[in-house]
Amino acid sequence: MAVCIAVIAKEVCSYWAGTKACTPSTCGPAPYTFYLQVFGHFFFSPLFNQNYPLYIRSVPIQNELKFHYTVHTSLDVVEEKISAVGKAMADQRELYLGLLYPTEDYKVYGYVTNSKVKFVIVVDSSNTSLRDNEIRSMFRKLHNSFTDVMCNPFYNPGDTIQSKAFDSMVTAMMVQAS
Amino acid sequence: MSIPDYMQCAEDHQTVLVVVQPVGIVPEDEFFRIYKRIASVAQVSIRDSQRNLYIRYRHHYLPENNEWGDFQTHRKVVGLISVTTCGSAKEWPQTSDRFHSQKDVFGATLYDSRLLVFGLQGEIAEQQRTDVAFYSSYDVCPDVEKRVEDFVESIFIVLESKRLDRATDKSGDKIPLLCVPFEKKDFVGLDTDSRHYKKRCQGRMRKHVGDLCLQAGMLQDALVHYHMAVELLRSVNDFLWLGAALEGLCSASVIFHYPGGTAGKAAGRKPSLAQGQGQAADAGKRHRPGAQEVLIDPGALTANGISADTSSEIGRAKNCLRPEDIIEKYKEAISYYGKYKNAGVIELEACVKAVRVLAIQKRAMEASEFLQNAVYINLGQLSEEEKIQRYSILSELYDLIGFHRKSAFFKRVAAMQCVAPTIPEPGWRACYKLLLETLPGYSLCLDPKDFSKGTHRGWAAVQVRLLHELVYASRRMGNPGLSVRHLSFLLQTMLDLLSDQEKKEVTQSLENYTSKCPGGMEVITLPDGLKLPPVPLSKLPIVRSVKLLDLPVSLRPHKQKGLLENNMSTKSPFIYSPIIMHTRGEERNKKIEFRWVQGDVCEVQLMVYNPMPFELRVEHMGLLTSGVEFESLPAGLSLPAESGLYPVTLVGVPRTAGNINVNGYHTSVFGVTSDCLLEGLPSVRTSGCMVEVIPSLPRLQLSTSLPRSAHPLQHSKEELSSSVSVQLFNGETQQLTITLENIGSEDLETLEVTSKTCNTKEKLFGEFLSWDLEEAVSQLPLKPGQSVTLTVNIKVRLDFSGGENLLQDLNDDGISVTGLPSSSPLRQVLKPRAETKPLGSESSKTDYNHVKTLEAVMTFKYSGGAGKVEGYYRDLTLGVHVDVEPSVFFTRVSTLPATRTRQCHLLLDVFNSTEHELTVSANNNQDLVLHASECQRMAIQVAKFDFDTLPQPDQEAVRYTNPKLLEEERLHTQASMINSTLGITWNIPSVRRQGEASVEGVLNQLVLEHLQLAPLQWDVVVNGKPCDCDIIADCKVGDAVPLEVKLTNRSKNAVGPFALTVVPFQDYQNGVKNYDLQDAVTFIGSNTFNIDTVNPTEDSVCMGALLFLYTGDFYLNIKFQDDNAGQGNEVPPSWFGLPSIHIKALEAPIEAGA
Repeated sequence: MAVCIAVIAKEVCSYWAGTKACTPSTCGPAPYTFYLQVFGHFFFSPLFNQNYPLYIRSVPIQNELKFHYTVHTSLDVVEEKISAVGKAMADQRELYLGLLYPTEDYKVYGYVTNSKVKFVIVVDSSNTSLRDNEIRSMFRKLHNSFTDVMCNPFYNPGDTIQSKAFDSMVTAMMVQAS
Repeated sequence: MSIPDYMQCAEDHQTVLVVVQPVGIVPEDEFFRIYKRIASVAQVSIRDSQRNLYIRYRHHYLPENNEWGDFQTHRKVVGLISVTTCGSAKEWPQTSDRFHSQKDVFGATLYDSRLLVFGLQGEIAEQQRTDVAFYSSYDVCPDVEKRVEDFVESIFIVLESKRLDRATDKSGDKIPLLCVPFEKKDFVGLDTDSRHYKKRCQGRMRKHVGDLCLQAGMLQDALVHYHMAVELLRSVNDFLWLGAALEGLCSASVIFHYPGGTAGKAAGRKPSLAQGQGQAADAGKRHRPGAQEVLIDPGALTANGISADTSSEIGRAKNCLRPEDIIEKYKEAISYYGKYKNAGVIELEACVKAVRVLAIQKRAMEASEFLQNAVYINLGQLSEEEKIQRYSILSELYDLIGFHRKSAFFKRVAAMQCVAPTIPEPGWRACYKLLLETLPGYSLCLDPKDFSKGTHRGWAAVQVRLLHELVYASRRMGNPGLSVRHLSFLLQTMLDLLSDQEKKEVTQSLENYTSKCPGGMEVITLPDGLKLPPVPLSKLPIVRSVKLLDLPVSLRPHKQKGLLENNMSTKSPFIYSPIIMHTRGEERNKKIEFRWVQGDVCEVQLMVYNPMPFELRVEHMGLLTSGVEFESLPAGLSLPAESGLYPVTLVGVPRTAGNINVNGYHTSVFGVTSDCLLEGLPSVRTSGCMVEVIPSLPRLQLSTSLPRSAHPLQHSKEELSSSVSVQLFNGETQQLTITLENIGSEDLETLEVTSKTCNTKEKLFGEFLSWDLEEAVSQLPLKPGQSVTLTVNIKVRLDFSGGENLLQDLNDDGISVTGLPSSSPLRQVLKPRAETKPLGSESSKTDYNHVKTLEAVMTFKYSGGAGKVEGYYRDLTLGVHVDVEPSVFFTRVSTLPATRTRQCHLLLDVFNSTEHELTVSANNNQDLVLHASECQRMAIQVAKFDFDTLPQPDQEAVRYTNPKLLEEERLHTQASMINSTLGITWNIPSVRRQGEASVEGVLNQLVLEHLQLAPLQWDVVVNGKPCDCDIIADCKVGDAVPLEVKLTNRSKNAVGPFALTVVPFQDYQNGVKNYDLQDAVTFIGSNTFNIDTVNPTEDSVCMGALLFLYTGDFYLNIKFQDDNAGQGNEVPPSWFGLPSIHIKALEAPIEAGA
C-alpha cells in the first residue's frame, strides 16, 4: 500500500502582479514575510519559489520520485480548483478540495488552507477502506498539526518542516491508512 | 483509420480537404515553397454569394483515413494538387500517367484535381487542359495562387451541387446507407426495407448533409440538419453516427460562437496563419453577420437553396447550442464513440477538439477530464513516433489549459520516449529539445541569477532529476559544452540539496566533461535561439567576505597636508547625523579611505570555505576589476574538505592611476572557469570595493646597523615598518647607521626625517636621537637601486637622581667637608633631612636595578616621481627601542659654599648601580672609582652661575605659554647649563662602556639657588686688591688699609638702603673666635657703611679704612643690617654673600717702624 502526504507552500501571492488578486487577509498570518517575498521574487521570476514542498513523505520510499511527480502535477488541479471558486466566495470556500484526479494506481486528494497552503494526499486506488470522510478527517488532522508547527516561534514560515511532532503524526496517519 | 490527427479542432469540420503532393522527383524545399503558396489560399470567398470556403491542405494523407469521408466529410479528400517537375516534352506523357495514377488513390472522393508542372521548356503537343498548369521554373509562377483559387471555386461548385443533390433527395427514393469502413460487414444481409433501417439511412444522410452544409458555409442549415440527424439517429440507437451528429452540432456551434477559431496561435498548425493573423478579426466580423444575413435575407435563402421544410421545422436561433451545452454534447458524443473500439481515433480527436473548445472557454477542470479520458483511449499498438507525438500533444493541450506542471510531465515523458531503449536510433537531440521545454513547468530557469537569492526552494528532487537528464541528453547529443553548462548549473544551484555521494559523482562527471570541453563564461546559444547564460560557480568555494587590504605601513601613500583639496562632498546637509543613510548596495560602491599605488602589489583578502566533502582545488583564482588597468596575479589554492573559513589573499598590480573597482573574482574549478561578480552575490560581506590608485611613488628599503627588534614598541600605537632595539646604560651614546635603498622604480626626490619620542613616564634629558641629514640630502635624487646612509646618535640620559631612600649611611651631616665657617648662613640649608626611612631595605635597592625603556619613532618622509606631482609621499617609520640600564645614580645632591663667594661646592652622592667597577669623573676633578653597588660622595667645585646671561625665551613664546611651563623651561636651561659645566662622565672599563651622567634631574630649586650668583654683587677691595674668602690680603701693621665695598645691583628692584658693619675677629682654629679686638684693630672713620638705595643695574661704592696695630691673622666679617626691616620687600639673606676677608697684618719694615 502506498501513500504519500505532502504539504506545499502557498504560492507567492500575485498581489502586485495584479492577476489573481487576493486580499492580505487571505495571504496568511505573516504579512511581513509575505511582502518581502513579493519584493524578492516578483520582478525576477514570478514563476519561481512558489508552491514548493514544505514537507513530502511517502511509503514506500524507493519510488519517491514518482510521488514527487504525482504531487507536483496535481498542483495544476489544485490551483484550478482554487481559482474556480469565485473571489467573493473565497472566504466561505470549503477547504477540502476532494479528489483531484484519479490515476491508474492512485487517487490524489487535495486540501487548501485559507492561507493557501496546500495539502495533498495520494493513496492507492485499490484501497477501498478510505472513503471521502476518512480522507477528510486525515486532512483535518494534518491541518491541526500544521497549525501547531506554525505556532512554533522558531519556525520560519516557508522553511521545510522538520518538526518531529508533525513527522510522527504523519507516520501514524500513514500506518493507519495503509 | 489508426493515426489520429492531433491537430484537429472543431472548425476543421467546415473545411474541405485538399491534398498537395509531389509527383515524380521534386526537390523537397521547392515543393514546400510551392506548398506554402498554395496553402496560403486557405479561405476563398465565393463569387455571387456571401459564403466562404475554407480549405485544409495536407501534403500527406492516408487513403485509409479517406475512407472515413462519408462519416465526416471534412475527412474526405476532395481536391488533389500535384506538383511535378517535367524537363521536356518527352517526359510529359509519363508525368501525366503518374498524375492519373495518383488521382486514382483518392479517386472516389475527389471533386477535382490540378497538376502543376514546373521546369518545362518546350511546348506540349497536347491541347490545353484546364487541370494542368505549366511553369518554366519554381521561381517564376506568379499565378499559382490565382490558379488555386479557381481550383477551389470549382471544388465549391461540385460541393454545392452535391449538397443540393443530397439535401433535396428525400422524395421517396431509396436513401443509400452511409457507413464507416468497419461497419460494412455488419450490414450484410440486413433487412433494408425495415423502418428501422430506413430511419437509420435517413439519419445518416441528414448528418452527411449537415456536414456538407457546414463545409459549404451554410452554418444555420448545417445546425438544422444536425439536429434532425440527432433526433433520427437517437431513435434507432445508431450510436456511432449519433456521436458524429452530435459532434457536428458542436462543431457548428463552436464555429458560430468562436469565429476566431479554437486552435489558438500557439498550435501554429495552419500554414495560413501567417496571413491569417490580420484576417482573423476580419473573418470574425464576417462570420456572424454573414450568418445573420442568411436569416434575414429571404432572397439569399432561396438562392442558396435552403429547402423550405428544414428552415421551417425548427427555429434557427435555437438551433445553435449554448457554449455550456457544447461540452455536454461533446461528452455525449465521446461516450458514444467510446462504445466502438474501432472509433478510437475519432474519439481521441473529439477529445482534443473538446479540450480546445474548453480552453477557449477557460474551463480547465473539465478540459483536464477530457484529457484524462484521452490518455486512456487505447489505439492499439502505437509506434514510438506516434507515442512521442501523442505525449507532446497532450503536453501541449495541458499547457493550453494552464496546467503547466502536467504539461511538463508529459513533455518529459515524450522526451524519454524519444530515447527509449527500443528505438534503434535514439533521438537525443529531440529529447534534449523537449526536456528544455519542460523547464518552465518545473519552475526551473537556467539562469543562475534567479537562484542567488536565499536558499533554494522548489521541487528539488524533480529538478535535480531533470537536470541530470539534460546533462545526459546533451552528452549523448555530442555537445559536452552543454553538459558542462548544465552540470555547473546543477552544482551551483542544487548544491545544498545534493548528498555527499551525489556531490562526488557530479563533480567527477563534471571533471570528465571539462577534460573534453572546458567550461567558460560565454553564453551558449542553442540552435533554436535559447540562450544558456553562464554559470559562475560562486559556491565552489563559497566566499563570505571580500576585503581590500591597505598597503603595508611602509608603503602607504599620504597626501601632503597643504595640498589637501577640500573634497568633502557631503551628501547630507547635516554635519553629523546618527541615521546611516546608505544601504548595503551603496556600501559596496563606497570608496575606501586608503589608497593604492600604481605599480605596487595590492592585496584583497577573501574569506572562503569549501562546502564539498572532499578537497577542493581552485586554480587561477584572480580578481576582476574595472576602472584601472590591473594586472591580476592568479593564485591556486587547495581547500580541505568542509573547511571552515579560510583566508585567501589575491594580489595584483594596478598599472595605471585612477579609481579601481573590484567587481568580483575569477576561479577555475573542475575545469570550469567562472567569473563571479560580487553584485550577484548578496551573501558576500564587503566594506567597499572602490579604491583610488595614485600615481607611482618610489619605494625605500631601510636597513640598520643595529639588530631588528622582534617585539613592537610598547607605547606606540601606530604601526611601524621596522624597529631596532638596543641596550644601553644610562648616559651612554650609541651610533646607529641607517641605510635607505631605493628599491622602487621611481627616483627619490625628497627625503625628510623627523623623530618623535614616545610618551614615557621617564624624564628624558637632552636629545634622544640626533642626526645630520645634510649629507644624505645632498645625494638626492636617488636613482632606483641606489642607497643613502644616515647616522643617528642615540643618546640616553634619563634621570640620574636616586631619591632619598638609598644608602642611609651616607646621610650623615654633610657639612663636615672642609674648612667652612660654621657660621655660614648656608648651614641652615644643608641640615640633613629627617631620617624616617627604614635603613638599608633590600626592596628599595632593587628599584635602582630596574631597567627602563625608552622608545622613539623615526619617520622618513619621502616622495618622488609622478606621485610627488600629485602631492603624495610615503612614510617609512623606524621604531627605536632602547632598554636603559641604570649606570650611576646621584642619590643626593647638596651644595657647600666654597671658600670664595663666587664659587661653591656641589656635593653629589654617586651610587654605582651596575655590576661592574665604574669610574666617575668630572671636569677638573679626580676620578672616583666605585665598586658595584657602592655609593660615594663626590664634591665638585664650581663657579657660581650667572643665569642672567642665559638667553631669554622669546617674547612671543612667553606670551602664549603657561607660566608654569615657562618656569620649568627656565629651570631646565639652567640645569643643562650647570650640567654642561660639570661634564660628569662615567666609564666601565671592564665592558668598555662609557657615558655621561647628568645632574639635571637631581638639581632642585634650593640647590640651584645656591649655585646662582646672588643678584646683589658685593666686591670687597682691600688695599686696592679684590678680596675673597681664600685670598689673604697682606698689609703692614700701622698702615692704613683702605677697604672698599662695592654693591652692584643686578636684581630687578631697587635695594637698600643698607647698613653694613665691619666686625673684625681672630679665629683660633679651635672653635674659639675672638671678637675682642678693640686694641688690635682700629677703624679710620666709621666701621659702619651706609649704602643708599641702589637702583637696578647701578652700583654703589663705600670706602673706609682700617689700621692694624699688631701683626696677626685677622678676619673681617661684614655684617649687614637692613634698615628696611619689616617693609615687606625683604631681601633674602643669601643675597648678602659677602666674603669674609682674611687679612694678614705683617711686621712693618724696619725703616717704617717708628
